[in-house]
Amino acid sequence: MRHVMHQELTLHYDYALGEVAGTFLDGLRQKKILASHCSASKLSYLPPRAFCERTFERCEGWVEAGAEGIIEASTIVVRGFEGKRPPPVAIAFVRLDGVDSAIANYVDGVDLADLDEAMRRLAPGTRVRVEFVDRPEGRITDFSFRPIDNQPG
Amino acid sequence: MSWCWKGTGVPEAVGVIAAFQTDYRSQHPDVTFVEQAQEAAAGAMAAAGMRPDDIEAVVFSLAPTFFMGVADADRWAIDHVFAAGKPFFRIHTGGATGGSAVHAGYALVRSGMYRTVMIVGAERIGETPDAQHVLNLIFDPFYERDMPLSTNTSVALMATRYMQRHGVTQEDLARVVVRQRRNALRNPHAHLKGEITVADVMASPMIAYPMKLYDICPRSSGSAAMILGNADVIDGFQTRPAFINGIGSVTDTYWIGDRLVPSADAEIAELGLAAVSAAECFRRAGITDPFAEVQVAELYDPYSVVGYLQLEQLGFCATGKAARLEDDGVWDVDGGAVAVNPSGGTLCSNPIAISGLARCIDAANQVMGTAGAMQLPGVHTAVATAVGGIAQFHNMTVFGDDHVEFEES
Amino acid sequence: MIPDVYVLGAALHPANVRLDECRLEELVYRTARAALDDAGVTRRQLDNVTLGASDEVDGRPISSMLLASPAGAYRADETRVSDSGATALCLAVARIASGDFNLGLVASWGKSSKTDPEKVMAARAEPFFTRPLGMNMRVADALFAQAVAHQHGVPEEEAATRAVGAYERAARNPRGVAHPIPSVDEVGASPVEAMPLRAGHRAPLTDGAACLVVASGRWLRRHPGNRPLARVAGVAWASDSYRLDGERLRSMGSARTAWSRALAQAGMTGDALDIVEVESPTSYHEAAYARVFESDGARLSPSGGTFAQNPLVCAGLVNAVEAVLQLSGRAGPVQQPGVRRAAAHSCHGYAQQGNVVVVLEGDGSA
Repeated sequence: MRHVMHQELTLHYDYALGEVAGTFLDGLRQKKILASHCSASKLSYLPPRAFCERTFERCEGWVEAGAEGIIEASTIVVRGFEGKRPPPVAIAFVRLDGVDSAIANYVDGVDLADLDEAMRRLAPGTRVRVEFVDRPEGRITDFSFRPIDNQPG
Repeated sequence: MSWCWKGTGVPEAVGVIAAFQTDYRSQHPDVTFVEQAQEAAAGAMAAAGMRPDDIEAVVFSLAPTFFMGVADADRWAIDHVFAAGKPFFRIHTGGATGGSAVHAGYALVRSGMYRTVMIVGAERIGETPDAQHVLNLIFDPFYERDMPLSTNTSVALMATRYMQRHGVTQEDLARVVVRQRRNALRNPHAHLKGEITVADVMASPMIAYPMKLYDICPRSSGSAAMILGNADVIDGFQTRPAFINGIGSVTDTYWIGDRLVPSADAEIAELGLAAVSAAECFRRAGITDPFAEVQVAELYDPYSVVGYLQLEQLGFCATGKAARLEDDGVWDVDGGAVAVNPSGGTLCSNPIAISGLARCIDAANQVMGTAGAMQLPGVHTAVATAVGGIAQFHNMTVFGDDHVEFEES
Repeated sequence: MIPDVYVLGAALHPANVRLDECRLEELVYRTARAALDDAGVTRRQLDNVTLGASDEVDGRPISSMLLASPAGAYRADETRVSDSGATALCLAVARIASGDFNLGLVASWGKSSKTDPEKVMAARAEPFFTRPLGMNMRVADALFAQAVAHQHGVPEEEAATRAVGAYERAARNPRGVAHPIPSVDEVGASPVEAMPLRAGHRAPLTDGAACLVVASGRWLRRHPGNRPLARVAGVAWASDSYRLDGERLRSMGSARTAWSRALAQAGMTGDALDIVEVESPTSYHEAAYARVFESDGARLSPSGGTFAQNPLVCAGLVNAVEAVLQLSGRAGPVQQPGVRRAAAHSCHGYAQQGNVVVVLEGDGSA
């Protein structure tokens, strides 16, 4: 017989939004996606951050990301996690127009019944557009991506 | 025992005197975490013919203790690894931990600060069912935790991009799983082992496209330890050490989205970061042609694609080509040009806290002639790698049967 | 042999009980940036970064993923110890002394306010023997206080007097949190947390970060325009048994080991030191260290130590920065005269299970 002692640990954390995340999440409430900009490197970043890794200077500017972008990488999650959307779900890193780095979110509007076919539709290089929910709450899930030349569902 | 900082100002030669690994399984229910760690510490000392007093400092290799349910479980293990009263610290760089821990131990000896160091660690990931949930928590709380991001999905993203860029197929990637599970049949410690086919890999359940169950490492528990010493100590204990002739380690930005775009400094889908640490490591070791000068590569590959990416970035072959070279048997243990993961690699055993240490041990064993059934003839030089975070930390270590000192320019 | 390692720059983030206006990454970036600026070097010149951080304190299972780049580690050889910031400094010194690295940054941080530190400390208890008894920082410190009181005959009055003295020194330190100074009576009457420890004996936890830039002698000779702030004369660290029996608590073995070894490397005896910045989570710790290190009065923690700021994980590295400031004549109102040799101490784990001592030497220009 195996002897085990069952325990559960709960740890609580207050994660400060800090200088930048608050502005970004507020922007989502207004259906805007705001990228941080570093004038030294000339790079605009999503997700936004307070400083540019390359130059180690502060990102002092904001740039509103375009409403469309390109899939850089994608996958379909078949085994998922509790608390997230039930699987299967498609996610992608998308480089929105005007921004140099890519941001991740769910991709809607692709039939996931046939995984291989769905992945062809989600292939890197596919253009997508941003779709906001009707009532944004200031969470990353306020928006998702949808392939542009795709019929919904 | 004199502990005084010997330091002559000349960097010390550092060699592996002995090492020990337990078997890797889902669980080891007969021992606690600390008893698990003790098995490795005692085993390494026995293999070295050393006693606890011979070990001057200890580096503990331990990644997230959220898996353990005991925060900083290394502190609990101090007595069990015979480290009470000694200099002791724990290294934690995610999956790269074992390699980073070896590098830390190496620094303590190379500097002359200590003459012997034991690197030891244990993994008990099987004690929690919540490993994937813990791994989801490594992501940014505001921008990414709401997504089903995990190590599985992140590598899946890398794989889709890599496969498209270089015309690599899922069947291509499956070949490394077949080869390494077969290799693992000769590894008494390996968690997964056996004769499987590409069709078996392709038929295994899809986890995150294109990564299927068989493309992915197991969750392993176990422990390992390695003892390093300087030249004087080696003379007393080991006639055939493995010298650490080169180290290289580099850390990338956390943001995945910075690393799969045209402006990326290192393309994550090619594990471009590995080329950076490899360049530094090979430079220190005086190796200019890895394919010709390295006989064994023990690569940290928790996913099928990750091993191939490293072969390419370490310079063993051109980008996009590693999987294709399987057809020619280039990476085979029997008759290959470079034996890749004769141990089965991380694909067959992934005790996260010590996986990087296991890669180092398996590489060192080949050089020392102590690889048992996995032993290849004529191994002068072997490399080991470790990867941590979401392909964010990469380190590499070169082991050689002769001490090499590069000239600082 | 004398280690050929120098401190080139030092920085502390402004301390506060609660630093809510920035997230950890920003906290660390500001401090690392300040240390680089203090050193007169750029991030790109670094060839290594050594971090001291705890996942459970930070609330991330691999905290260095998000915190490495803010600490200047982008495309650098970066590693992390979990024990403490002062431990990270020891490893950084070893890396430089190995000859493989020449210019490193050491970073550590702790936002005590973002979590319940006692819950985190309780999570460090092994599940079979001590966790069911509610072992945590408070309980472990109380056991240590008892052992110290017995071993060294420390009366409760001394614990109260030392706490007040530390608060008074801290009040003069512009880098500290401006805690109100209690009276000895108030400390003596403060609520008992776990016998014999009262709330007034415990240094309040705060939020903060500390960074140092360290360089090899070789690097300095190639960059004659950069002047070091101090030389690292000796480093040592050690850990005691995890057990909390009386022998372990009374003996303070790892503290003695770290102290004597660091001094021996530095070629000094303890009385050659002008100041010693000690990490004292409670005033009983101060009573113990004052005796074991034979350092008291004006020499002992002129910064106010933990009663000035006490961020989890990095309090010891804060001590190292304070020591560097003393050596370079920049400690301000708490500056001691003519500081040429200083020690910084750190402790971590239950009842100071681990101790670190770093001995630094200035060039006398302070």
